[in-house]
Amino acid sequence: MELKICHLYPDVLNLYGDGGNIRCLQKRLIWRGLGAEVTRMPLGAKSSLAGYDLVFIGGGQDFEQQVLLDDLHRGRDSEIRAAVEDGVVFLTICGGYQMMGHYYETFDGKRCDFIGALDLCTIGAKKRMIGNYKFECTPSAGGSVVVGFENHSGRTMLGSGLEPLGRVLSGYGNNGEDGTEGAHWKNVFGTYSHGPLLPKNPQFCDMLLLTALGRKYGLTELQPLDDAAERAAHDEMCARI
Amino acid sequence: MNFKAILAILLCKLLRAVSRLLHRGGTAMPGRFALKVCPDLLARLSKDVKTVVITGTNGKTTSARIVEQAFREQGFDYFANRSGANLLDGVTTEFVMNCTLGGKMKKSRAVIECDEAAAVKVFPQLRPQIVVVTNLFRDQLDRYGEVTHTLGNIRTALEAVPEATVCVNADCSLCSSLALSLPNRVVYFGIEQGAVPSRAKPELSDATHCIRCKTEYEYDYITYGHLGGFRCPKCGYARRGADYAVTDVIEQRANGTTAAVSIRGEKRVVEINLPALYNVYNAIGALAASMEAGVGREEAVRALASFQCGFGRMEAFRLGKADVRMMLVKNPAGCNQVIDYLENLHNRFVLAIFLNDRGADGTDISWIWDAEFERLNALAGRIEKVIVSGDRAQDMRVRLKYAGVEDKNITVERDYETLVTSLEGLETDVCLMPTYTAMLELRSVMIRHCGGAEFWE
Repeated sequence: MELKICHLYPDVLNLYGDGGNIRCLQKRLIWRGLGAEVTRMPLGAKSSLAGYDLVFIGGGQDFEQQVLLDDLHRGRDSEIRAAVEDGVVFLTICGGYQMMGHYYETFDGKRCDFIGALDLCTIGAKKRMIGNYKFECTPSAGGSVVVGFENHSGRTMLGSGLEPLGRVLSGYGNNGEDGTEGAHWKNVFGTYSHGPLLPKNPQFCDMLLLTALGRKYGLTELQPLDDAAERAAHDEMCARI
Repeated sequence: MNFKAILAILLCKLLRAVSRLLHRGGTAMPGRFALKVCPDLLARLSKDVKTVVITGTNGKTTSARIVEQAFREQGFDYFANRSGANLLDGVTTEFVMNCTLGGKMKKSRAVIECDEAAAVKVFPQLRPQIVVVTNLFRDQLDRYGEVTHTLGNIRTALEAVPEATVCVNADCSLCSSLALSLPNRVVYFGIEQGAVPSRAKPELSDATHCIRCKTEYEYDYITYGHLGGFRCPKCGYARRGADYAVTDVIEQRANGTTAAVSIRGEKRVVEINLPALYNVYNAIGALAASMEAGVGREEAVRALASFQCGFGRMEAFRLGKADVRMMLVKNPAGCNQVIDYLENLHNRFVLAIFLNDRGADGTDISWIWDAEFERLNALAGRIEKVIVSGDRAQDMRVRLKYAGVEDKNITVERDYETLVTSLEGLETDVCLMPTYTAMLELRSVMIRHCGGAEFWE
């Protein structure tokens, strides 16, 4: 058994240790004797998104956003929408998460059109929402408590039919107001928890892997791993905030 | 000096004296209160002082120590903010501590390191003679934001001081873009093609696309990170030839580097009294700044061989039988350079990493996942033991586990006293990698065990 993992735009969407999530997905497959094939798909890559089981999109700087949007609107956006409908597992973080929505409107009213795969939009605010935070995933997203770090000025609003990824226990989440964090639609998981989200939240990582393995091979259970280190890091931060 | 300024000076000196009585540094706080009384105090004090200011992401402190040494070699009368207090308040404190009660400066020159985000406030008051911009890398995103934002800050700061000569890193496409829009006189320093083996393009670069037209850069060579011979195929923005250039890194040793340099066309071989490639950049940048400030060539070259940095920057200690180096780490680019250094060591060593997430460290520790700890695997045979410590020791433990270090071989030890005591019996070398606040604490413990001076001394 093997998962084909695509790291989309690793050259520009890599701001906050995003590579850590890829390493984590990869290692936790390998430690179980499963295959993991990771493909980096940078800006301007001609290859198709078809055939991947899991797609990762990280967060980036504003500076490269226009180049990114140009690339996206050259057909990558419709490919992503098709993959979402097809049930491919997506983990999208921060800028990558916002990008899955309809648009981003800056503080002074300029609008960037995004992919529109998820019924959400993001409005820029003056105040940045920065800090360690934690949230509890909804039962359909595995129900685990995720601890992470958020740093965003965009306030994300979910459409009425879109379920959040979880409920904020401490911190800001989507917009600092409605207590929601991230979004969950089909097999797309979007969150503001950037950087090493998965290494410190092994339960959440395994939920993603099992979703992808279940879809591809009908697998219903993963072999447990020794997560002493991961749990220590998780529990310590959970207790601190 | 008017009444407010005199009052501010008195207050500042008094607060400093009280801090010292309480055995605190008092490096920033006194200046903060003084500025409340007299907001333009620094401008008043620095009016007749010729100042070299060093800013940029990495290498500020080391570069400042080299410039200081060059000033000593030259016999210049100067002072410096050696404590690392590099915001407006800290710089102001330093100036007050070097003036009379009447506000007359006792020295004619200063060497000041300045936080890159604070430059906007510091430069207009300080009106430096020379500004060095060492490099720009992603750093503490929670504090600084994106690297282009930091670049913008430095540009704004320099716009206020068009008379200052700016020494920029020619190999950094971000820094060197400052010359595109500023009226200032610009001097370039850098490492030429062929001086070190070129690296492959890193997986992670902080400047992939042209700062002018957003086209992807092409490279003739890469020294590390995004530094090297960049060129934009579309708009033509490219690395400029360096006035102060390293033409060959002849030998890299555990305690220093021998390099051939070209100083405005004149060839020299220099000794640099610190190891690692990033210190070669610090050396050539400091050489440029010293000479532009009026230091003679011989004196400036001599300073590279004779300066001592300390303060956790490749700082050497002798602990029992163990040779210890303390290497401050705070962002991926600097951390990768320290890993480069570890790769060049020949002896077996114990590695201890101290990860804190306090204000001065950056509260976001996701950068450890951008640093290439995977490269430690190739050194496994020479690493005696791995210890993780600091507030976020468990996160560091997880990082190393995913880098390939077996979890059972990682020791978590939070107590610095216990940790340092356990190192005392060792016969191998020891490499300590602390973040900033961890370094301050760890240094105190090391100094108690080995002797040395506190950070403000």
